[in-house]
Amino acid sequence: MRVLETKELSVRFGDHLVLDKVSADFTSGRMTAIIGSNGVGKTTYLKAIAQLVRAEGSVVLNEDGVRGLDKKTIAYVPQLGSLHTKLTAFEMVLLGLVNSLKWHVTDEQIELVYQTLSDLGIRHIARQPFDTLSGGQKQLVSMAQSLIGKPKVLLLDEPTSALDLRHQLIVMGLAKKYTKEQDVVTIFVVHDLMLASRYGEDLLVLHDGSVYAYDKAEKILTPELIAKVYGVDSRVIDLPEGYQIVLPLAPRR
Amino acid sequence: MHQQEAKKIYGSIMRKRQAVMLLSILAVLLMIVADMSLGSSSLTFGGLIKILLAGRDVEGPYGLIVWDVRLPMTLTCVGVGGCLALSGLQVQTITNNPLSSPYTLGISSGASFGAAIGIVTGASLFGLQWLGTAAHAFVFAILVTMMIFFLGRQKRMSTQSLVLVGIVMNFFFTALQQYLQYRANAEVAQIIANWSFGNLSRASWTSAVFSIVVMGAGMLLFSRLSWKLTAFNAGEERAKSLGIWVERLKMLVFLASAGLIAAAVSFIGTVGFVGLVAPHCARLLVGEDQRYLMPVSTMFGMLVMLAASSISKLLTEGSMLPVGIVTSIVGVPFLFVLLMQEVR
Repeated sequence: MRVLETKELSVRFGDHLVLDKVSADFTSGRMTAIIGSNGVGKTTYLKAIAQLVRAEGSVVLNEDGVRGLDKKTIAYVPQLGSLHTKLTAFEMVLLGLVNSLKWHVTDEQIELVYQTLSDLGIRHIARQPFDTLSGGQKQLVSMAQSLIGKPKVLLLDEPTSALDLRHQLIVMGLAKKYTKEQDVVTIFVVHDLMLASRYGEDLLVLHDGSVYAYDKAEKILTPELIAKVYGVDSRVIDLPEGYQIVLPLAPRR
Repeated sequence: MHQQEAKKIYGSIMRKRQAVMLLSILAVLLMIVADMSLGSSSLTFGGLIKILLAGRDVEGPYGLIVWDVRLPMTLTCVGVGGCLALSGLQVQTITNNPLSSPYTLGISSGASFGAAIGIVTGASLFGLQWLGTAAHAFVFAILVTMMIFFLGRQKRMSTQSLVLVGIVMNFFFTALQQYLQYRANAEVAQIIANWSFGNLSRASWTSAVFSIVVMGAGMLLFSRLSWKLTAFNAGEERAKSLGIWVERLKMLVFLASAGLIAAAVSFIGTVGFVGLVAPHCARLLVGEDQRYLMPVSTMFGMLVMLAASSISKLLTEGSMLPVGIVTSIVGVPFLFVLLMQEVR
């Protein structure tokens, strides 16, 4: 079992303290959703874990008592944004191995790309330029690029933004499958509270740069929390499937 | 079965690129011969080949023309075109902006201003004035590059802002150079003006060897970084998340590009457009895999320069139109046609 431990992580951009001593442990084989309103530091927290921004505090991966952290074992999948490239889907996934690639790409590396594309069900788009893919396909290629390096920690920054319903479920389903099968620590930032509740076995709620709540989704997803964190009146409906739907009613004054 | 299918997919992606690379090599060789065949003397194509095969000791005026005038001039085109395209490509890659080039970022005008100072002060290096001018151009190319790099880093500038800074630099150094020209006497002002046109009549064996050696060194360095530079095309943030030391790589590429541009313009003067158009054309044909994009861009740079040189010889019989003027005239329609093809 692995546990990712973040201790008193603080990030400052100029005079603005974005993250203020955030501490939380994440267990492998479980998906944790980070939720919170805009600008509370959700993406910054992921980037601090991935060591993409300068942060105070510590991030350690505890593997059966052995503590340490190799940056290469962390995969951060950024928001899709407006990425334009003529690289094919195959090459994009191959770039996930960038640190071990030499001029001549080996047969093993080619097969690994093929296998990863197959695992994610996107083998048929291998030859297509990334620019010409749909949003859902792009997201899957991005994930394939991260997963090919066999990370132990998977950080997904709004993986479902700009995706249609079907692709939201496909992307999150694949993340869940990978988390369970490979026993990785998966943390994802998401705005959709239904997806957070459905795929996040634990929810970490950030508010004003600090941890406001961190527990199982069914325990903390309440109208009170939503009112406090988002400033919205809502109803939380428990579904027989085991997750919740948040029905926003009106913004609070 | 899987193994074969995987190789088939990869092979099909690479095949077109390999074909383009092969054709580019052939085109460069053909253009080298074509450029060398052109000139004011009535040397035939067969005569040219005979003299080249006979070696440097061949007697008669044609031996001198081929070995001491045409060959160094053509090889300078190869070296300078390659350096310009290579630096243009990598500046475009790390700024993630297809409009970047040593010319648009102001590195060329910085080098040009440096050379102007060298000319005005009559500075020499190892007793050689042309080397003093070249050294000044080199130092200023490095200075401007560092200025752009650190300003960009200090203020966490976006790539777009970086290009805007480059445009400002361009105006600034062009104005400074014009000031020097204005204050200098007529003879010196003329030398500076000639230098800023990019003129192959200054080509020599030194310029040929120097530019080709620097180009080779650049290619060697960038070939070792080819995958990391390819990852840059997938976005800076993604490159970071893939474990690439983005800032270090940027610094290295900026420095190497400054060296390349300085080597290119130090001897024959400022030549615009090659660093912008050659990578564009190459990218349209071979995509963004730097293993192919880098050599093909470099060869396209050579082709543009060789074409410009040939045209300048054809246009002005008996003398040479400054090649910097011709590169733009050759380059613009070339890029236009390729862009139209992509739109279709």
